[in-house]
Amino acid sequence: MTAEALDRNNRASERKWRRRSLWSLLVLIPLALAVESYDSVKALLGNNDLFPRRVAWGESARFGGSDWKLTDLRGAFGMSNLPPDSVPVLADFQVKIGDPDLQKLWLGCKIVLVDKDGRRWSPTSIVSLKTPDNVGNCISAIFSGAKSGDTLDLRETFLVPKEATKSVRPSVSVASERPRFLLFQLEKD
Amino acid sequence: MMRKSANIVLLLLAVVFCYGLQISKPHYGDLIGPIPARGKLADTVVGRAFEVHAEKIEFARKLKVDQFGRQKVLTTGGVWAVVTVAFAARAESTVVSVASWRGPTGLTYDQTERLSFMNGLLPVAVDPGLPRKARLIFEVRPDQANNATLLISEKLVAALDSQAEISLGPVTITADGLPGGAVDTLDMAEPL
Amino acid sequence: MLESARSRLKAWTVAGIGTAAAIAAAGVLGAFGARHEPLPVLAPASQIDIGEWLLRPLKAYVTAEKYAYGTLLKPGGKALVLEVEMTNRTAKSTKDYFDVLQAGSTVVDPATKPFIVLTRDSTMSPELHPGMPERMAYIWQLRDGAAVPASFDLTVIRKTYKPRDNLYGLPGWFNPTPAGTLTIPVGAGPAGADIQP
Repeated sequence: MTAEALDRNNRASERKWRRRSLWSLLVLIPLALAVESYDSVKALLGNNDLFPRRVAWGESARFGGSDWKLTDLRGAFGMSNLPPDSVPVLADFQVKIGDPDLQKLWLGCKIVLVDKDGRRWSPTSIVSLKTPDNVGNCISAIFSGAKSGDTLDLRETFLVPKEATKSVRPSVSVASERPRFLLFQLEKD
Repeated sequence: MMRKSANIVLLLLAVVFCYGLQISKPHYGDLIGPIPARGKLADTVVGRAFEVHAEKIEFARKLKVDQFGRQKVLTTGGVWAVVTVAFAARAESTVVSVASWRGPTGLTYDQTERLSFMNGLLPVAVDPGLPRKARLIFEVRPDQANNATLLISEKLVAALDSQAEISLGPVTITADGLPGGAVDTLDMAEPL
Repeated sequence: MLESARSRLKAWTVAGIGTAAAIAAAGVLGAFGARHEPLPVLAPASQIDIGEWLLRPLKAYVTAEKYAYGTLLKPGGKALVLEVEMTNRTAKSTKDYFDVLQAGSTVVDPATKPFIVLTRDSTMSPELHPGMPERMAYIWQLRDGAAVPASFDLTVIRKTYKPRDNLYGLPGWFNPTPAGTLTIPVGAGPAGADIQP
């Protein structure tokens, strides 16, 4: 082979590879974006309650390995020393433990009240009502050492404005189930 | 030869261009900094997660506080500035924990850490629809009292989150070097 | 074959010469020279400017009380108290003073950290605010059974300001290095007079 032919040959294969590289960018750039954003998307989905699963009154729903049921949602009227136009609201749940690995499944457990406008109230520390000894809350339940088949009574206390008491509904979410969360309906719904 | 020098010129142009970008564009720290929500004293300043409304400023030489049932008078090397504010959460319950006082020359005074035992100081938990009052207490140099700005955010690192910036307006400094209207002792036991 | 071997040899030679030149230049510029300059000796009765802070030692004494400025001391032990006026020279409130003063190892175990207290109301390590001098007390637990020294050595550590750090691009104080030493006389007790400039 002469030097000239070699040169021509090289140039043709160089051009071929250059074209291949350019076409491969079409795949590589979206792939790189997907890999880069994977963790962010996972964090976004794992930190937010996005997709509600409605649970009708009196029914229980499997969530985080256990069966959750709302037993009561009521206002505690007539307390003094509260901010004006505010009402303490108590939400009672009965949870039948299925998978007892609560420290993993219930991690980041959040019980909030959601009203019709989507506003969310976290449990309050302003009002502390006396609860029976066998009633815990979400966090204490994680460390209660409950076994499969046990039934736990949970209660959370909230402080909401009077105008919102009509439309608030309790919602439950845990890290292992996010972005899905449970939205409990009341008898009147 | 021609081609080589063209390459060198191109390289130099790229260097100049990159340098221009480096000196003219905002730095990373500015890009991920807090997003200001500005307002004045008595305005309601609306941020992403909370609203705040600064009601009044008081200055005092000394503060009288109750510490575990014992009365205590706290002095300061400067002057005490006490701002009464009302917070409200917007869509979700949240906690407002950081406030600082930025003087006219940019000196920034964090909330004092000397009364952490007192009620009504940050951090405060706020719920939607339930405004809540709080006191922000600073020790500042008297020359930093005039035309100061109050900075309030939920977290210490308010990266890409809103920070309320409330201009507190002019304050006269009297002959004794204190802000006008400064009292000798302010009683923190008074209700908000 | 021969051609490529020769060009490879050439590349290696160039790279080798380049590396050697870089190391030589660094050596000439003093990158390998250990620092031998002795630390400056500072006068105790002076304002010590270490960039972030302005320090003025006021007095030192040893106490055997149960409490010194509200901090509980080890029972039966003694504590060395150094009172110093500190002024925050930066534009922000800070409590970056934990490593500013190091007591000499003859009196204090270097592993023990001092308690740092605002003397005004015995607040434990509060933030200090820009341009407002405050009297602070550094309280070191003395070694068990140590005699009360007549004086002790103090090393002052300073930091360097960087307008932008390399990680977040934010301003901060970095790279603590000793700025100087001073010898402070140990007075009789808390009632002793301040060191006058």
